[in-house]
Amino acid sequence: MFDIHIKGNRSRWIFVVGTILVLLGITVYITRAHIVPEQPWHPVSGAYLRSTFYLNLGPQIDWDLIEQEYASEITEEGYAFSTVYEALEPVEAMFDVGLIAPIQEAINNQDATAFFDATTRANSLATRYYIRVAETKLDQPGAALNDVLTAQQLYRAFGQDFISRVDPEAFRQLGFAWLNMTNSVGNSGLGGAGNTAANPDQFMEAKTIIEDYLSTNFENGSYVVDTAVGQRFAPIPMSVGEVTIPLWTPPGMNLNDQDPLPLLRLNFEAQGFEESDIPLVAYGDMLFDSPEIFGDPARSMGVTCSTCHNRSDINQAFFIPGVSHQPGAADVDGAFFNPYFNDQRSDSLDIPTLRGLRFTAPYGRDGRFASLREFTRNVIINEFAGEEPTEFMLDALVAYMLEFDFQPNSYLNPNGTLTDLASESAVRGEVIFNTEYDNMMDGMSCASCHTPGSHFADGNQWDIGSSDNYSHPNAYENFFDTPTLLNIVYTAPYFHDGSLDTLEDVVNWKNEQFAMNLTDQELTDLVEYVMTIGAADEPYEIFDEENTPFRLAWAELTTFATTLGSQHIPQQDAYHAILLIDTVAPDFRADASGLQNYDDAWMVFEVADKLDEIKIAIEQRDWELAQTLYDEYETLVEDYGPQLR
Amino acid sequence: MRRSIILSLLLGLLMSIGLSGVVAQSSNCEDIEVGVDRPLTLVYIPQENPEKLIGDITEISTYLEGELGIPVEGFVALDHAAAVESLGNCSADVSFMGGLPYVMAHELVGAEVILGEVYRGSEIYYGRIFVHADSDIETIEDLEGRSIAFADPISESGYLYPLDIFVQAGLLDVEDDPQDFFSSVYFAGGYQQAVEAVINGFVDAAGANQYVTLSLQPEQLEAIRWIAESDPIPSHNVIVRQGLDEELVEDFTEAMLQLNEPEFQYLLQYVFSPDGYVRVTDDAYDGVREIAVRYGFLEEDVLNEANEDDTTEDTDD
Repeated sequence: MFDIHIKGNRSRWIFVVGTILVLLGITVYITRAHIVPEQPWHPVSGAYLRSTFYLNLGPQIDWDLIEQEYASEITEEGYAFSTVYEALEPVEAMFDVGLIAPIQEAINNQDATAFFDATTRANSLATRYYIRVAETKLDQPGAALNDVLTAQQLYRAFGQDFISRVDPEAFRQLGFAWLNMTNSVGNSGLGGAGNTAANPDQFMEAKTIIEDYLSTNFENGSYVVDTAVGQRFAPIPMSVGEVTIPLWTPPGMNLNDQDPLPLLRLNFEAQGFEESDIPLVAYGDMLFDSPEIFGDPARSMGVTCSTCHNRSDINQAFFIPGVSHQPGAADVDGAFFNPYFNDQRSDSLDIPTLRGLRFTAPYGRDGRFASLREFTRNVIINEFAGEEPTEFMLDALVAYMLEFDFQPNSYLNPNGTLTDLASESAVRGEVIFNTEYDNMMDGMSCASCHTPGSHFADGNQWDIGSSDNYSHPNAYENFFDTPTLLNIVYTAPYFHDGSLDTLEDVVNWKNEQFAMNLTDQELTDLVEYVMTIGAADEPYEIFDEENTPFRLAWAELTTFATTLGSQHIPQQDAYHAILLIDTVAPDFRADASGLQNYDDAWMVFEVADKLDEIKIAIEQRDWELAQTLYDEYETLVEDYGPQLR
Repeated sequence: MRRSIILSLLLGLLMSIGLSGVVAQSSNCEDIEVGVDRPLTLVYIPQENPEKLIGDITEISTYLEGELGIPVEGFVALDHAAAVESLGNCSADVSFMGGLPYVMAHELVGAEVILGEVYRGSEIYYGRIFVHADSDIETIEDLEGRSIAFADPISESGYLYPLDIFVQAGLLDVEDDPQDFFSSVYFAGGYQQAVEAVINGFVDAAGANQYVTLSLQPEQLEAIRWIAESDPIPSHNVIVRQGLDEELVEDFTEAMLQLNEPEFQYLLQYVFSPDGYVRVTDDAYDGVREIAVRYGFLEEDVLNEANEDDTTEDTDD
């Protein structure tokens, strides 16, 4: 359970949790990664909640990031304002109140409380601004609807995650008020029919309810800050006393898989074996997809190994504001996932591929772990705050990950030489790749580190100048592990921090960095060579009418559950069985939303419910019943599976 | 809407857009050479965030310019009536809309449908009545005296078709005020808002497009179920104004159909995110025309005319 307990008097918005968070209860409110994109946020409410989230990533608050939210150009096209500050200008004018200057002053003073005070008030007044703009349009049927919907988008920053949970009665009253407001604006109809006039009385009644609540609860902050272990900010209505709120995450977070989805190649499958016949691997596959092995907040958010490493590769879409410096990256030892492991350094790293993992030791961007098992344990416990995994769990995870193959590449022989299919340009590039250059690390070649005969890696760490973050001129901070170049075409961006977008950028960078003095043709050839050796015959999963995203998920989940029947129930292994069910049953339900025909979801829910029945039997140590229920589960899977797409 | 005022309403619209005939068109339409005199112009109707839509227009216009070799631009109309008006007075050539506004546009300004959207492999969809999963409501009869939220009073799947479920069941008469059956009727402003009103416990039921489920989070999906389904509704469509050059219409149609190809599918997100397009003809919208007449959006004569048109086409074949 991951509740943030707010002890406060009526004027307390700021509450302290800090490192005691992990000791408190957890409530799973945050959904698991799935295919539904987040509803877009209004720039003002989005900036407000993200900034509030950044404040909580202390003790080192990134004020530059916070300022960008308000001062930077809005990336979404089509708004009448170019920055959030600009969006607040008419709000200031309408209410004759300063909003922008107090925010700027708080940022300059790095005063978190004053900033939260000012931005909370700004979001509330911006909501009321659009209600009042709507009010001016009531003489035209339907004309005010968009302004009311915009006001609702701004209110969402308070309502969706906070009022709904800490003041449900007010949330209900406000909900009715919003319904009455949308109802009251009338409709312009169609061709004259359906034209209904606005109802100003109904509008004003709703306006009074909403505005009174907002002005009372979000515009007159008087803050008490307890600095014992840290500060946590959230828009809790002032009229609410002692409350508990669950974990909340910022607008713009994306935990969905990347599109296109990488194609997974497991070595045993390539050799014709079934995962269900290798229970250790099947269980490891399940753990790779299980948030249950992590602690909070990762667990409640549904973060798993595969969230970042989609199908053993990467996830170019993964993004958590304040945690990722760009999509496809994360600071896994920062304040968010495990405050105990916060190394205080802002070092969000590009997510590396795990393809060919058994050939790419050591592990970590700087090769800090020689052992995959130790690396994995560090990820679970330190990076994502999980409990100590059992020996069996580590064995299973390692066994599974060691099956990750590179995708075959018809242009490449196993010894790293080009096949006859390669272009002439690539062949010329191969020569350059193997040529030693005086200025390249004292006479090395590209191939010195990216050894063709050894998966284009050398298992060593080098400082090639890809970062200038030195604590001392002769320090070793910037030694990074040589990455393999196999399948690299699909893992942009490049370098440990993802600072280069394309392989062409990488080649140009190296040409300059090592004064290689390559001609344009040579640069082209070298890029062609890297693109050729980094290619794959089938990089992505191809979906069609038979192989739908749901079918893929169904095949995975039903495979995971096979170890219940083959191992855990016969061996009366309750711990690992329950962990499996806690992973698989919720995933079945979540994946039902990806059905081609959602009307079939009841079949998926029935399967998930059957697993939950098995769990209850196991908790009661009724193994005979568990086996009976498992048999029933298998029947359901056999009956329903062929019908589901 | 009562029948007796239909004619005056239609007349009012026609007058407001400066037209004088039942199928009328601005006299200068024939003189416009699209691509030379002005860009091919697309008019959009805001279905969600109108400001976001402007960014989408840039993407699709750029694509079409590349395919058609002529300038393409787009704008967001205030509402359906304004979009129909712009097709009538030739300030726009193409629009994206639902079945009801299309049959209105066809009747009023002679617009023709060229493409239908495909969702989940189908060119039709349904309006449904959703209730909370934990509710004691099992049938539409149980909704007597209970509250309901619809999307919008001129939405087919978010109002007319779901309402028609109650009419067909004999629980309401077309002429009745729905408030006579329900305790309260709300228009929430959109499908999702209507269904979220059910999920949040604000109302007992919602009438909405079946595909509202696609925009709900898994835990929201588990909180609702549906108890009744409307007649099938032809999908939203792409329409062109009367008199637009036939060759250009064909090129435009082909360019839009190309969005079905894998390398172009990403562009579908900029045109209301269907899975793809298929060619459709006007007769696919006869059912919508009947609903439009039943609820006072069109006169009954329209049905006779449509039937005659169908017969003529059959004869021609």
